[in-house]
Amino acid sequence: MAKAKDALLDPLFNNNPIALQILGICSALAVTNKLSTALTMTIAVTLVTAFSNAAISAIRNHIPNSIRIIVQMTIIATLVIIIDQMLKAYAYEMSKALSVYVGLIITNCIVMGRAEAYAMKNPVGLSFLDGLGNGLGYGIVLLAVGFVRELFGSGKLFGVTILNTVNDGGWYVSNGLMLLAPSAFFLIGFIIWGLRTWKPELQE
Amino acid sequence: MSNDSIFKTFLVAFLLCVVCSILVCLAAIVRIDKEAYNKQLEIRKTVLAAGGYQQQIDDGGSIDELFTSNMELKLVDLDTGEYTTAVDAATYNQREAVEDPELSKKIPTELDLAGIGTRAKYAAIYLDKSGAVVLPIRGGGMWGPMYAYIAIDPDGTTVKGLTFYQHAETPGLGAEIDNPNWKKLWPGKKVFKSSGSLALKVVKKGKYNASAADAVNTVDGLAGATVTGTKVHNIIRYWFGEDGYVPFLTKLKAERG
Repeated sequence: MAKAKDALLDPLFNNNPIALQILGICSALAVTNKLSTALTMTIAVTLVTAFSNAAISAIRNHIPNSIRIIVQMTIIATLVIIIDQMLKAYAYEMSKALSVYVGLIITNCIVMGRAEAYAMKNPVGLSFLDGLGNGLGYGIVLLAVGFVRELFGSGKLFGVTILNTVNDGGWYVSNGLMLLAPSAFFLIGFIIWGLRTWKPELQE
Repeated sequence: MSNDSIFKTFLVAFLLCVVCSILVCLAAIVRIDKEAYNKQLEIRKTVLAAGGYQQQIDDGGSIDELFTSNMELKLVDLDTGEYTTAVDAATYNQREAVEDPELSKKIPTELDLAGIGTRAKYAAIYLDKSGAVVLPIRGGGMWGPMYAYIAIDPDGTTVKGLTFYQHAETPGLGAEIDNPNWKKLWPGKKVFKSSGSLALKVVKKGKYNASAADAVNTVDGLAGATVTGTKVHNIIRYWFGEDGYVPFLTKLKAERG
């Protein structure tokens, strides 16, 4: 039981894929200008890591060592394509907003990293929870960054106006930097700083 | 059998490929129809928004219903300004036609204000029940191509609305072309002077003077987005020039105006 709890909760703060392992930064910059895209990306990545971990773990005893990376890749790519296609079919606007970044989940190091480091050695249930935890750990950072960027960049949260911007006839002069990708770099930097101050044992 | 034997390696690779390709195929089958419909819906929404139906859409009106009861698709031969049935309107794709030498035409460099190189011979336009026309326009933006629909009243000169549906302008600056407050500046503007010469222009933010004689031909730009404003200006200048919709609008005016 304790092991299951660790598998699920450890990646949230103690071993956060973005803040500690510094993986998945590329998409974290690209999809966090709005909370809605950050949330969709979180769900997509969480589903992919959870199910690819479970699938790889289920066949781990039959994967020939010489082709294990390509086997993992094929499973991950299949899941990503399915999610991409479903977004295109049922959430067209969202898939347009996320553009290529859904497809790029295939190359997200978090997914591959968990498959190789965890799912190849652990049973299906634990691997599934580990994937879930890592997806959520990635998602927590994404949502935190998305919250700040959308609030100060466009004065909104989930598209609902909180600070009425000058462009819409209000008073709030929006911070243009927050709408551009580099701001996510600074915010992630602050998150890493904060996390390592709160938990000094994470410092290298 | 050892996991690393050649036979097992091929067997695992083969089985995995079969399972994965079946799953991908199933997902694609679900997507294909839906995506075609989604794309059509997006075009319909843009056409309606440009044509002055944004309010009805916001009030929860069905896009398909509003569209089918108000808009009629027509193909226009841009050179002659006449309606044409040379190709089937229902299957004609103007954006693909640009790539097809049979269906497109090179724009002479000196006329190519919008920076697009070639344009389709036939434009897929929409006739509104009120007699207004909704015209597709496009051109280079600051970071990438911009696509829009602009609606013109039956008099052939008064703008009814302008809506972009694809662009890559800077978020917060140029991307404010999607801001309803900016789109509101367009309805009522006149594309041509009474003499018939092209007059509509986008000026730098703050250069707009509401009491000037040409205020009716002038749209105020966006703060911090001078380049985007100039690009929109150039797109308008090209598409309402002789190489664009002038032959068609002249005919339209003669028939209905």
